[in-house]
Amino acid sequence: MARRSRPVALIAISTALLLATACGGASLGTGGDNKQSGPVKIGLLVPQSGIYKALGDDMKQGFELYVKQHGGKLGGREVEIVIADEGETADSGKAAAEKLVKQDHVLAVSGVVSSATINGVKDLFATSKVPLVGSNASPTTLTGTTYIWRTSYVNDEPGKALGKHVAEKAGGPVFLIAAGYQAGKDEVEGFKSTFLPAGGKIAGEEVYTPFPGTKNFQPYLAQIERSGAKAVFCFYAGGAAVDFVKQYRDFGLAGKIPLYAPGFLTEGGVLKGQGEAATGILTALNYSADLDNAANKHFAPAYTSAYGSAPSTYAMASWDAAQVLDKAIKAAGGTVTPESVNAAIAKVGDIDSPRGTWRFNSGGTPIQPWYLREVKQGTNTVSSELGRLGG
Amino acid sequence: MAGWLDGNFVSVIDGVAFGLLLFTIAVGLSLVFGMMDVLNLAHGTLYLVGAYVAYALSDGSLWGLLLALAAGALVGTMGGVALTFLTQPLARRGHLDQAVLTLGVTFIVADLLAAAFGGEVLPTDPPTFLRGTVDLLGHAYPVYRLMFIGVATGLATVVYLFFERSSLGALVRATVADRDMVRALGVDIRKVLYGVFAFGAALAAVGGVLGAPILGPGPGVDETVLVLSLVVVVVGGLGSVRGALAGALLIGQVQTLGVALLPEYAPFLLFGTMLAVLVVRPHGLVSPAVRT
Repeated sequence: MARRSRPVALIAISTALLLATACGGASLGTGGDNKQSGPVKIGLLVPQSGIYKALGDDMKQGFELYVKQHGGKLGGREVEIVIADEGETADSGKAAAEKLVKQDHVLAVSGVVSSATINGVKDLFATSKVPLVGSNASPTTLTGTTYIWRTSYVNDEPGKALGKHVAEKAGGPVFLIAAGYQAGKDEVEGFKSTFLPAGGKIAGEEVYTPFPGTKNFQPYLAQIERSGAKAVFCFYAGGAAVDFVKQYRDFGLAGKIPLYAPGFLTEGGVLKGQGEAATGILTALNYSADLDNAANKHFAPAYTSAYGSAPSTYAMASWDAAQVLDKAIKAAGGTVTPESVNAAIAKVGDIDSPRGTWRFNSGGTPIQPWYLREVKQGTNTVSSELGRLGG
Repeated sequence: MAGWLDGNFVSVIDGVAFGLLLFTIAVGLSLVFGMMDVLNLAHGTLYLVGAYVAYALSDGSLWGLLLALAAGALVGTMGGVALTFLTQPLARRGHLDQAVLTLGVTFIVADLLAAAFGGEVLPTDPPTFLRGTVDLLGHAYPVYRLMFIGVATGLATVVYLFFERSSLGALVRATVADRDMVRALGVDIRKVLYGVFAFGAALAAVGGVLGAPILGPGPGVDETVLVLSLVVVVVGGLGSVRGALAGALLIGQVQTLGVALLPEYAPFLLFGTMLAVLVVRPHGLVSPAVRT
């Protein structure tokens, strides 16, 4: 009896599990036909589940805010936003992208949080000739693409922006520590590419902590203390950023050894998780919610009042992605097809952005200003400009 | 030698703190699997629930912490009873079915927690009077972790005395050794099972409450904790309190002192240790409880 009922139970359990996951995905998409006369369909490929959901929410909100601020239209056309769940892995992201392109027949896609996803969907966008205006993921290895644009930055640029400044300010050797995966290595290489030529010295050896899985940073913090470093450059994001910053304070290094990092360390929701432990951390990023310019006055207060927290660079890049599509669809004129929009994106020119004016370089990433920010009273505040990168 | 000790002293102390945290979490997994033969992959979720309870109730006061501990113990007990109820019908079907079921529970609960608390790691600070650092041989060490060492040592002692020295503990061990005999004595085996499961689950949730300022609540923490617990159980040996303690303290040192001394091998140290222990002692550091 027990043997006979076993497959039944297994099937029942699997079905229940599948249903639990499928419901989340199914309710998000809307099917439809391929008419381009009515509203234009834009796919938003962002995580709606899993560890990147918070980033996905920022990006979704940034994009939707722009559309809302422009009467529900992009380039004068009514917009229908089709959201697909990127999930956590390259596989889930690829499946969602294929649904947007092949089933929903969207005009263009925006979003993509993870580098693994954007590498995985590279060929899909090349063969289907649908433009992807990405607003986050941008690994250094992603080059030579015709249909992929990014309104964010290349992964090694935050480090590059910071290198010369730290070399001049540190007054001694600097300890380098990062999460041991591709983005961490990109950031450290980017940092060294401007830090070493400016005369910077590295304290001991650079350290890559196992990722994910490092929850206790004490042994690494002891190493930093022993190395005699005058400053630390680190790269962490998400949960690891919260753990690292809190333990940096808990073990008495905060206030003694200045902590420099790419902006992700204190960007978005992680800053709330760090609380007062983040005070005084210095980061480089292409955006800060307190920037004083006309576009940011149009963006930051509206975002804050709509969603209850200051916009992150992820939200800003997504707002800009909507702006790029707005201009490109308008420029494409009467015959709006994925290919005509893609051609128009290439000629879109200067974007008047909350981060300051920028435009695409030949690689499809922004030539833009970078800022040094300091955490004061729980918010990132701009302290100086670090120059332009991306040219 | 003095220099070596000075440089690594804090790591050794922190290894003890981390090891004791791992013990508090893993001992329940070890007892439930080793004694009651239920593979509970939702064990990390119990820790995560406890950590969220700590986040929700911590207000910086001692009372907030005590309230969170009580609530964590209650929620953990209820979770353990619910998991026993769910896994009981699968008892005769082996570990694979239990694994699938309890893994399903982790996914569902993780999604519910993410829906309730959001997708980010949340700030969980120790009570105000336990913040800050003390000076240990010239190095700063967090007060909270020192306090944790004290509390967890007390918990470990209580757990050890209960299972190895009390008559109720003897009943549990007898149940493991010979179920039929205990049943013949008129004891309801299911009550023992529910009791051990609820106790182990409550400990994991209490570990979550106490551990929240060290391993804060957030998506993915449940998996990290589950993997570490499984490693502790495998290294220490199934179904014994002493085994869980030995495994946890060893893994705690590997994760702190080991990483401090051999940073370039950090990614391999955890599983390398597990491999080394299994080669020398296939049943773990402490032999498993006797089964017939």
